[in-house]
Amino acid sequence: MCVLYDVLSIVRDKKFMTLDPVSQDALPPKQNPQTLQLISKKKSLAGAAQILLKGAERLAKSVTENQENKLQRDFNSELLRLRQHWKLRKVGDKILGDLSYRSAGSLFPHHGTFEVIKNTDIDLDKKIPEDYCPLDVQIPSDLEGSAYIKVSIQKQAPDIGDLGTVNLFKRPLPKSKPGSPHWQTKLEAAQNVLLCKEIFAQLSREAVQIKSQIPHIVVKNQIISQPFPSLQLSISLCHSSNDKKSQKSATEKQSPEDHLYVLEHNLHLLIREFHKQTLSSIMMPHPASAPFGHKRMRLSGPQAFDKNEINSIQSSEGLLEKIIKQAKHIFLRSRTAATIDSLASRIEDPQIQAHWSNINDVYESSVKVLITSQGYEQICKSIQLQLNIGVEQIRVVHRDGRVITLSHQEQELQDFLLSQMSQHQVHAVQQLAKVMGWQVLSFSNHVGLGPIESIGNASAITVASPNGDYAISVRNGPESGSKIMVQFPRNQCKDIPKSDVLQDSKWNHLRGPFKEVQWNKMEGRNFVYKMELLMSALSPCLL
Amino acid sequence: MGVTCVSQMPVAEGKSVQQTVELLTRKLEMLGAEKQGTFCVDCETYHTAASTLGSQGQAGKLMYVMHNSEYPLSCFALFENGPCLAADTNFDVLMVKLKGFFQSAKASKIETRGTRYQYCDFLVKVGTVTMGPSARGISVEVEYGPCVVASDCWSLLLEFLQSFLGSHTPGAPAVFGNRHDAVYSPADTMVQYMELFNKIRKQQQVPVAGIR
Repeated sequence: MCVLYDVLSIVRDKKFMTLDPVSQDALPPKQNPQTLQLISKKKSLAGAAQILLKGAERLAKSVTENQENKLQRDFNSELLRLRQHWKLRKVGDKILGDLSYRSAGSLFPHHGTFEVIKNTDIDLDKKIPEDYCPLDVQIPSDLEGSAYIKVSIQKQAPDIGDLGTVNLFKRPLPKSKPGSPHWQTKLEAAQNVLLCKEIFAQLSREAVQIKSQIPHIVVKNQIISQPFPSLQLSISLCHSSNDKKSQKSATEKQSPEDHLYVLEHNLHLLIREFHKQTLSSIMMPHPASAPFGHKRMRLSGPQAFDKNEINSIQSSEGLLEKIIKQAKHIFLRSRTAATIDSLASRIEDPQIQAHWSNINDVYESSVKVLITSQGYEQICKSIQLQLNIGVEQIRVVHRDGRVITLSHQEQELQDFLLSQMSQHQVHAVQQLAKVMGWQVLSFSNHVGLGPIESIGNASAITVASPNGDYAISVRNGPESGSKIMVQFPRNQCKDIPKSDVLQDSKWNHLRGPFKEVQWNKMEGRNFVYKMELLMSALSPCLL
Repeated sequence: MGVTCVSQMPVAEGKSVQQTVELLTRKLEMLGAEKQGTFCVDCETYHTAASTLGSQGQAGKLMYVMHNSEYPLSCFALFENGPCLAADTNFDVLMVKLKGFFQSAKASKIETRGTRYQYCDFLVKVGTVTMGPSARGISVEVEYGPCVVASDCWSLLLEFLQSFLGSHTPGAPAVFGNRHDAVYSPADTMVQYMELFNKIRKQQQVPVAGIR
């Protein structure tokens, strides 16, 4: 068909080919040419149609063949797919691959090579199974199965005999992407096992080398250390192989709740950071004659750095120290939150509010603690504490500028908050007096009179009514509670002995003895409300 | 790096080098200084090989290669009145390769070893200068950390030196005179040590092979 078209187009040009009519005899009679033309046209069309049909048949055949072949995957095409994800090399007649992190900067001595083998155990007579793959990978025997690093914090130390017997729960295998071939999941699992082994090897090496106050114990697949006296941090490598035996015995009672996933994730991140450091741009490129190392270390020779400067360049903290610091911080933070919450639920007056900051560091978090009275938040807001929770200590910054450092003991924080709450009550009376028009006669945050408190100090305030007739004296301590006394003018007290010294009756308008108020019988839902009622009761109405 | 003054303490009469060092260290400890380990400064001499000398027959120059434990990753190379180079520790390896041009003067290795004391901002190092097996003298180095300009703190240094050296207090080192207001560098300390070592070598008048 195309040839015909080409010939016709060439003939049209009349440059290379021309149509030359064949000499003819006398024309047949007139009516025949039309039928003859018709017949000849039909024949030529039929010929062209035959050619076209033949071509179409051939195309259809090849398309169906292709579709059949897709199901039957070729070993080479599968190998091509494998090569897109993993590094392969040919050694002799074997194809080996590399699943270690060496090219990403790891220095772990494991070889991490896997072998690619042809899967020839299919029976050509039987139907080919759906997930048949002509390629199979053989991973090293010690990387089989799946592994993870378990980091957990326990309150009390277990017996020595229990060391090394970590109950591992079989975590469900991470779901592989649908459509990813089985060799991909296998290789990824093996790579994860290798990474976990590297992390654990690094941690145990540091645990043995680094001298710390309380030595770390390394037993089989577990590293135990004591960040705080009553606390135990255990990092263990849990490697479960895919044997049928171990699957049967995996009935786990231990809940996975004490596994700190955050720290496991951080361990992975830290080891990757360590890998990157060996390949980072501060290492390479470097002068051919210089030793491997940080760029500033290379300059330390020519610039004559002394020991202090050298130490400041070299980061001397290892993986284990970093993860212990993070664990300490997490523990301290959760315990602080628990302390504040328990106080908030236990004590209703005054109320304690905690606003935790969303942005925090691995080693530092902060929370703002407000102590307020319900209904009087705008007036009584003098106790605002900013707590910065660090690795081992809590730093408290008071609104009035005082900075107090608390240790990791939760009792210290609790005592401190209780003393602040007691101070709040007295501060609230001071603010209330301002609002109500009462005069503050004396105010002390730490009074030296009265019974000694075991937590903090008692505070006291004395306020006088606007017309001077009455005075209220408040003493509030964290343990002893609140004591309120009211001073009445002399002419209202019946039991005052008459004296000859006071001749004038005007002296009877001065304030005289004190009387205690039975605070628990007072109306009002909280301290400040009761105080407001008392004050309003004692200031006479002008109307 | 603060301003440093290196001086020599003459051996007390009738006493050995060790006893004088002990006297000094006891004085320092009574003053309240804190012992902080040891230090070592050593010096090797090289002289330019005869083959590289010109036809004029000029005398070969002496080069000193020194190490200081205060700067553990550095190596210093200096000529007598010439420049001082601070380099990496690979410089020692380089010297081996330059054997053809610089020949080591035999038995000329001189070093001072002793204890390092910290007294607030002052760093005092009292060391015994030894050449081979014999002790030749006592070196005293005082560094005032906070200041880097020599002219600003010389008087303070002098006062401090007087407090424990007494009458043996030295005068201002020559390096201070050269560059009054320039920033003090570790190379200046090494120049002072080199001058001290040369003085001690000449004092004993022991003929050392290779010296001019």
